Order: sequence, then C-alpha cells, then structure tokens
Amino acid sequence: MKNKKEQINNSEPSMAVDIGGLILKNPLMTASGTFGYGKEYAPYIDINRLGALIVKGLSLEARKGNPPPRIMETPCGMLNAIGMENVGVRAFIDEKLPFLRSFDVAVIANIFGETINEYKKIAAILSTVEGIHGLEINISCPNVKRGGIAFGAHPDTAYEVTGAVKSFTDLPVIVKLTPNVGDIAEIAESVEAAGADAISLINTLTGMSVDIEQRAPHLKNITGGLSGPAIKPIALRMVWEVVNRVSIPVIGVGGIIDANDALEFLIVGARAVQIGTANFINPRATLDILEGIDNYLKRHHMKDINDLIGTLKDGR
Amino acid sequence: MSDVMSMVVGEIVLNRELVPRHFLMRVKLPASLAIPLPGQFVMVRIRGRIEPLLGRPLSIYAFERDKTALVIELLYRTMGKGTFALSRLKPGEDLEILGPLGHGFDIFPEIKKIVLLAGGIGVVPLSFLASHYRKLPTNDHRIIAYLGAKSADHIVGMDRLKETCTEIKISTDDGSSGYRGFVTELLAEDIESYLHGDSVIYACGPRAMMKRLAELLKDQDISCQVSVEERMACGVGACLGCAIHVKAGGDKTQYRCACQDGPVFDIRDIVWN
Ligand SMILES: Cc1cc2nc3c(=O)[nH]c(=O)nc-3n(C[C@H](O)[C@H](O)[C@H](O)COP(=O)(O)OP(=O)(O)OC[C@H]3O[C@@H](n4cnc5c(N)ncnc54)[C@H](O)[C@@H]3O)c2cc1C
Ligand SMILES: Cc1cc2nc3c(=O)[nH]c(=O)nc-3n(C[C@H](O)[C@H](O)[C@H](O)COP(=O)(O)O)c2cc1C
Ligand code: FES
Repeated sequence: MKNKKEQINNSEPSMAVDIGGLILKNPLMTASGTFGYGKEYAPYIDINRLGALIVKGLSLEARKGNPPPRIMETPCGMLNAIGMENVGVRAFIDEKLPFLRSFDVAVIANIFGETINEYKKIAAILSTVEGIHGLEINISCPNVKRGGIAFGAHPDTAYEVTGAVKSFTDLPVIVKLTPNVGDIAEIAESVEAAGADAISLINTLTGMSVDIEQRAPHLKNITGGLSGPAIKPIALRMVWEVVNRVSIPVIGVGGIIDANDALEFLIVGARAVQIGTANFINPRATLDILEGIDNYLKRHHMKDINDLIGTLKDGR
Repeated sequence: MSDVMSMVVGEIVLNRELVPRHFLMRVKLPASLAIPLPGQFVMVRIRGRIEPLLGRPLSIYAFERDKTALVIELLYRTMGKGTFALSRLKPGEDLEILGPLGHGFDIFPEIKKIVLLAGGIGVVPLSFLASHYRKLPTNDHRIIAYLGAKSADHIVGMDRLKETCTEIKISTDDGSSGYRGFVTELLAEDIESYLHGDSVIYACGPRAMMKRLAELLKDQDISCQVSVEERMACGVGACLGCAIHVKAGGDKTQYRCACQDGPVFDIRDIVWN
C-alpha cells in the first residue's frame, strides 16, 4: 500500500516555486484579509497543503476598522471597506502566531503603516520572532485615510517604504501594489530598484455602489475596494505588464476562483497566485485550484510547474 | 486531519411559497453534518453559478436527522437577487451549504418563562428555539411568543409556533391582524410580569425593533438575547465584513463579527446608535 502511494507521489509534477529566496511547496497562497489569521478556516481545509498563508494586514497598534455596512456584493464581485481592522502586531504574535506555528506552511505577514516609521517598526518586530517566513508590505489599501495607498500611488514613496522596510529585516520582502495608478510597471520598477524580493498585484480597485431607494451609498465608508472575478482581466493585464518590466518574481492576485483562472496568471508569468474572495465562496478554493493545476500539468506532460510559468505565446 | 469540515452539497427536496414572498425550503444534506443549534445559520449558494457570487446567510428553521441524511428547513423572504434566485429553484436541484455557523442562543432550562419577540422573518430562529425548549426533558416551560409583521398577509411561522408555544400574541403595523402598532409596544404592556429572574427574552427582527427593545429593557431586570443581521461574505470570521458595534467596558466600544461572535448577543452589549 505504502509503495503504491510512493509511486504515485513520484509521478507527481513538482509544484515548488522560489519567491525571492522563499521556497514554497506550491504556488497557492491565501490573499491577505481573506483568510483571517488562519484559525478561521482551519476546520475546513488542511492548512499544511498551502504554499503560503498570508495573514490579515497588521498595523503597529490594533485598529477598530470602519463602521458597517462594510461589504456589498456587485456583479461578479464585492466591495469591502473593512478599514484594516486588526489586532495589532504584538497581539498577533502573542495570540495568533502560536497556532500558525503548528503548521508546516510558510507564514507571510502582511503589514501596513500610516507612516514610513511605522512600517519600519512593524518589520523590525516581526523579524525577531519565530514562525514568520516573509513580509508582504501593503502600500495599496484603499480604505484608510492615511498611509496605505498614499505610498503605493507614487514611484518615489513606494521606493522609500520598500527601502526602509528592507533595511529593517532579513526576511524576504514582497511589495503589494495597488491597481489604482496610471502606470503600474513604473511603480513595480521602482520597488524592484529599492530592493523588493517580489511583487504581488493587485490589491482591490476603488469602487462604489448606491442604494437608489435610499439614494445613499451602500457602504458607510462610501467607497470600497472591489475584488472577485470582476477584476480578473485587469489583474491579469497588470501582471503581464509588470513581468515584462521587472526580473523579481511576481505573484498574481485578483479574481481567481478556479484552476483555469490561476493557470492564466501562471502562463502570463506569475510565479505564484493568491486566492482572496474565492475563499469566502468555497473554503477549499486554494486546494481545489492546486489539484486543478496538477491535473493540467499531467495532461500537458509537464514535470515541473516552472516549465509552465511565463510561457505565454505571441498574440494570434 | 479528522476534524476537517467542508462545504457540502445539499439537494432541495421542497421549495414552496407559503405567503407572498416567503418560501419554505427543505434541503437534504449528508448525515455527517453537525447537528444545528437554535440561532445558528448556514451560508447558502446556488451550485455552479458565479452570480450571485457570495453565499447568503439564512437561519435554520428546523431539522430532522436519520442515519442517511440531515434535512434542514429554511424559511426565507425574497429581498434581492440572491433570495429571488433561491426562490426559483426546484426540488432535485443542488445548493452549496456551509454550516451550521455562529453561536446560537444560550439555553436556560431552569428559567421557566420563555419570551420570544419576532419581527417579520425574525421568527425563523425563534421558532427553532421554541421547539428546542419543548424537547428538553423537563418540558415545563411557558413559551410566550410576540409576533410582529407589516400586515396580516406577512405573518409567517404561525403553524409551528402553535405547536410549541403556550401563547401567541400578534401585532401588525396596519392593524389587519391583532394589535395595531409595534410588537415592542405589545410586549411593553406585559413586561411587568416577566421581571425579577423567572423569564428570559429572545428577540430577532429588524434593527429598529431591537433598538426599541433595548430602550424598553434599559433599566429592567431581565436577561435578553438577540440575533442580529449584518451583511456577510464568509460567515466564519475571516473577512471582518459583518462588524457589529459592541461595548468593551467603560466608555470603550469595539467591533465584533456577527457571524463568528454572534449572531446572538446580549442586547445590553450592543451599541444601538
Ligand atoms: C445570521 C443571519 C440569518 C438570517 N436568516 C434569515 C432567514 O432565516 N430568513 C430570511 O429571509 N432572511 C434571513 N437573513 C437575511 C438574509 O440573509 C438577506 O435577506 C439576504 O442575504 C438578502 O440577499 P439578497 O441577495 O436577496 O438581497 P440583496 O440583493 O443582497 O439585497 C437586497 C436587500 O436586502 C438587504 N440585505 C442584504 N443582506 C442582508 C442581510 N444579511 N441581512 C438583512 N438584510 C440584508 C440589503 O440591504 C438590501 O436592502 C439572515 C441574515 C443573517 C445575517
Ligand atoms: C474583505 C477583504 C479584506 C482585505 N484585506 C486586505 C488586507 O488586510 N491587506 C491587503 O494587502 N489586502 C487585503 N485585501 C485584498 C486582497 O488580499 C486581494 O488583493 C484582493 O481581494 C484581490 O483578490 P481577489 O479578487 O482574489 O479577492 C482584502 C480583500 C478583501 C475582499
Ligand atoms: S461574514 Fe466574514 S467575518 Fe463575518
């Protein structure tokens, strides 16, 4: 029985990917803010099978978040204005991280600050604790008044935050970009120059929705971040633009709900993918997608996922 | 991992309009699913469709269980595209069900008067609660239900309540059945008889109703649990979309998840303004 299982394993395509020095067993990651701190979905999925788990965005102090309503469904997508509610970096380390340490999975902390100094401090704190394998700097949250997107919208500030964080940590640093800019590749080049080890894109697109009976916005915050299948073509285009301009790994995020979606990103050149809103629809989405990619590789007689990444052919 | 739960596929066995815009649905699920508790809910999605994208939270109305299946009953009112789409499904079609989710109502077997205050479709979890109390070994509870609706043709759930409740009092906004006015006014008339420890109030309904109830009970000596509604995306505490404003000691307040920390809360813990 055991032998048979080993045999099957031997014929499995290799799924391992290298994200700026961080070797992941497969390219499936949970997108920040859509998987809580891991515990919420632990009853539903075997977390050990994920490539990486990215936790809800952390700030220096706990944040209360925005008043409700915070979410609204839109055609093939959703708007959220959570406002970076989180327990704060120290409570995360004390209360949430011990649980995550019990898994054999790369844990990536998504961090957020209102000032560059805050980014530095959070990075420094997280770099000294056991069980964090990488940092994802969020310079792209559209739902807060200060910080976040303000840094991600300009090449100079994006450069500055990335450089600052890099000088305070030895962990691989992934910079998460906002799509709410004119030239995404310009920002990507800038964070690469500042020493980023990888780039993830995209965060949500700023959107809005109105209740016509009340003649009022559905969200208390008025605007929110759009995610889900509705944004996939934009995310894919941006990943394509960026992989052609930088040499560090790019992680594709935005609207992926099944294996076909994920494959599009990999073919375009993303070295890994993050699954966000799809977790809400199907807690097993990440693993279903992983199995779908595995089937695809077998069907195309590929032994290694890296043989697929970035194989987009010229336009027809 | 042995404790891995999953989203399950359920088969619709009944989906019938009881009164205009109010549907009773029975869904057959694997017997392995956890037994639901009163106040818990499920996230419901139509299988294989991308629209509507997110599951819709619906309270559990009742359940039956045998060796082969767990059949849950849902009672829902059509509001928008999600519930309209549900209302068009036929027996034999599939649903994706995540649950049972959330913390249900606390049960107090030793308290003898159980007061239910339901606004509209809020009757759903309270009806389940009433039958739960009826099934307790002691079965000596007086269960008094106050049912508020827009008008007579919006009253749902009476049949079941008649089987479980000692008394049912009705109010309608337009006076077409029972008392004319808000259901909280009807309760206010009787509140004296429920004070001082032998009664507990359970409520579910529109926010305005629960806010009035909170005002009514402000200085009264009676415990009260309410089931709240917020828009939900994940149903499990991961997205933080379903924030509900609660007191956190002193002047402090904080947000809690309606899905994970609730949907049942102590009425006095909630910030209603
Ligand atoms: C824990 C919980 C239990 C619930 N139990 C029941 C139940 O047993 N029976 C039942 O009929 N309904 C129940 N609801 C409400 C039900 O979830 C909503 O009516 C439904 O999600 C609306 O979806 P829709 O697509 O039809 O409407 P949408 O198109 O999404 O919206 C139409 C209207 O419904 C309102 N709405 C949207 N989401 C909610 C929500 N979560 N709660 C209240 N109003 C909402 C919107 O503000 C809008 O005015 C429950 C809600 C929660 C949170
Ligand atoms: C409810 C919600 C909360 C989010 N919170 C964060 C966050 O804390 N930090 C962050 O970098 N991105 C956050 N995001 C953005 C997602 O990580 C992801 O970039 C985005 O949703 C697009 O992917 P998707 O379409 O697969 O959801 C959040 C998204 C949602 C829907
Ligand atoms: S619905 Fe996602 S946290 Fe409650």
